[in-house]
Amino acid sequence: MDEEIKNTEPELDELGVCQKERDEYLAGWRRAKADLANFKKEEMERVQKMVKMGNENIVRDVVAILDSFDLGITATGAESAAGKGMMLIKTQLEDALKRHGLQPIRAEKGTMFDPTHHEALGEIESELPDGVVVEEIERGYSLNERVIRPVRVIVSKAKQSK
Amino acid sequence: MAKILGIDLGTTNSAMAVMEGGEPKILENHEGNRTTPSIVAMSKANERLIGLLAKRQAVVNPKNTIYSVKRLIGRKFKDAEVQRDRALFPFEVRESVQGGIEVKMGETWNSPEVISSMILQKLKADAEAKLGETIDEAVITVPAYFDDSQRQATKNAGEIAGFKVRRIVNEPTAAAFAYGMNRMKNEKIAVYDFGGGTFDISVLEIGFDAESKEQTVEVKATGGDTHLGGDDFDKRIIDHLIAEYKKQEGVDVSKDPLAVQRLKEAAERAKHELSTAMESEINLPYITSDASGPKHFVMKLSRAKLESLVQDMIDHSIALVKEAVTAAAPKGAGLKIEDINEVLLVGGQTRMPAIQEAVKKLFGKEPHKGINPDEVVAVGAAVQAGILQGDVKDILLLDVTPLTLSIETLGGVATPMIQKNTTVPTAKTQVFSTAADNQTSVEVHIGQGERPLMADNKTLARFILDGIPPSPRGMPQVEVTFDIDANGILSVSAKDKASGKSQTVKIEASTSLNKEEIERLKQEAATHAAEDQKKREVIEIKNQAESLVYVAEKSLKDAGDKVTAELKDAITKKIERVKEVKDKDDAEVIKQATQELSTELQKIGEMMYKDTKPNPEAAGPQPEQPTQ
Repeated sequence: MDEEIKNTEPELDELGVCQKERDEYLAGWRRAKADLANFKKEEMERVQKMVKMGNENIVRDVVAILDSFDLGITATGAESAAGKGMMLIKTQLEDALKRHGLQPIRAEKGTMFDPTHHEALGEIESELPDGVVVEEIERGYSLNERVIRPVRVIVSKAKQSK
Repeated sequence: MAKILGIDLGTTNSAMAVMEGGEPKILENHEGNRTTPSIVAMSKANERLIGLLAKRQAVVNPKNTIYSVKRLIGRKFKDAEVQRDRALFPFEVRESVQGGIEVKMGETWNSPEVISSMILQKLKADAEAKLGETIDEAVITVPAYFDDSQRQATKNAGEIAGFKVRRIVNEPTAAAFAYGMNRMKNEKIAVYDFGGGTFDISVLEIGFDAESKEQTVEVKATGGDTHLGGDDFDKRIIDHLIAEYKKQEGVDVSKDPLAVQRLKEAAERAKHELSTAMESEINLPYITSDASGPKHFVMKLSRAKLESLVQDMIDHSIALVKEAVTAAAPKGAGLKIEDINEVLLVGGQTRMPAIQEAVKKLFGKEPHKGINPDEVVAVGAAVQAGILQGDVKDILLLDVTPLTLSIETLGGVATPMIQKNTTVPTAKTQVFSTAADNQTSVEVHIGQGERPLMADNKTLARFILDGIPPSPRGMPQVEVTFDIDANGILSVSAKDKASGKSQTVKIEASTSLNKEEIERLKQEAATHAAEDQKKREVIEIKNQAESLVYVAEKSLKDAGDKVTAELKDAITKKIERVKEVKDKDDAEVIKQATQELSTELQKIGEMMYKDTKPNPEAAGPQPEQPTQ
């Protein structure tokens, strides 16, 4: 009796091993299939994001040109013929970028400093409350709601005279 | 199965990655960036900020913005390094009750572990949002020179953040893993890590015990400069630009925040550009103005100039490498430079060609640099995580075909069926046709290699498929299928669609070329690329000539007496001319003769249009590439 059981044991074991292996392989296969399906979905998202990112890199470089226009218009005088021309070219460029999702981010004097859109370049003692924007140094931009350049500002510091 | 997050907790920036489908993948943070500044702050509005947001307000809130906390973690307050760094930090650092360290942020004193845990917590939350599942386990990297207490503190930081820290891995070891050097091999590896704020050199010895199948990674030596990094390079460039401008224009722009900001961005852009270009122009209109009016900033920066600005720092790093490799223990590994088998580049600054050159010159071998140097440590941490979670073992290791598998077509051209580096198992089917009228059999010639002509590739097998019903060239459809199974066994079958006749051959050793052979074939393909291209062009021209002759003869026959004898005569002459030259190797002559025939041939169409509708068969389509 004992022997019989012993004899059948290895067979059962072998079957058990096979079953275990089968389950493992099946699970592995399912996982691989699922991975592929997920990968495809992600890949689609990634491609879309790549397109956006590609735009982002271009726009990031181009906004530096918008800065130069701003400075140029200020230096030339917005009322002069050259200044007006420059202004028009700037508007044209800006409009083109707006169509692709570019939005300027401004920081009004007196608004609370907010690191989600602002970057502080320095601080200055002023009459304004502590921690509010005193001056906008460089305009910020967002592309399709994502900040590609924070607006650079100077922040007020409470006067030390106590 | 829950994923384990691989984290590179850096001094300036941190990054994270997970294994997905057997491949490591960098995860972006909430802001959409692949790296996160290792900065934590308590804002003036009493809000806790981590990463980019903390960085943006650092200048106006220096006392409550904690950065480089990695320089403090797990150390004693009395350590010389701590005392030196403390003088540089704008935030307050004091001794804790147990002789450790505490930093002040907002109203509270925190241990460096707690600060680090805040960064880890953000990474955890961002990773969970990205993956849509909770992550409870992590592998975190530390510099090779970290002692037990620093490692333990890093581990604690992970636990505070809510991770079960499965392993603390050395950064250079992670880098080696990322490059797949966790294979069964004994190797000595030098890892040159030039980050934003620190420079580390590590010498590793990977050992593999064939009997126990156990692998050991031993850190033989470490060295570096904890205050040397890419940020120093940026600063040198900006200082140079400002000084140069002052010399040229007599204006000091260093006090104008907008000018400095614009210069900073431009300098960074120029630095990146000079990794690929030899010269970069920095062009900033209206940078400033004086009594004479607006002034512009236009300056060229050459790669040579950039290199001369930072050469001393590069030299310094190389000297440190030499010391770490050659000095006797415990200062160095006590090895000879030529003992090093592999060199890895880590850290963003190693993109600079001058650094790559310097490292290459020192070791006399090309360093590994394929993986993004900012991400390689996090990638390696994910690989380690993958090994721990069993991913690497679990996932079937899929092979790729090392060389292109092709079939020979008219003119001895090797037409690729399965491109090299295709993951197997895979199959590809394509329909071919015959090259001559009434051809009743085709030879299927299967080859392997990157050369465009079959004669230059390795023949794997040939077989003949016969019994194709007689028909004009280009008509029969022979479907050829290449199928490689998971074991690399290639089966090729060819089937004539009309008769249903098919033939199959199995090639067992299609992917079992040895490494040298594969390399040789690839090398050959590269060296012969230009001449092969030319040969292939000649064959294509010949093939075109041949099919045009066929079309012309058929058109003449079909048109019958609808064309004048004169034209017939002219075309026949042109056909003879093409036939005469087509077997010679002068491409130009064949091209010209073909062109002339083609022009002449169009006259048939013109003539037939005059009196009747065109015969649809008169101008047969270009036959598909037929088999020989």
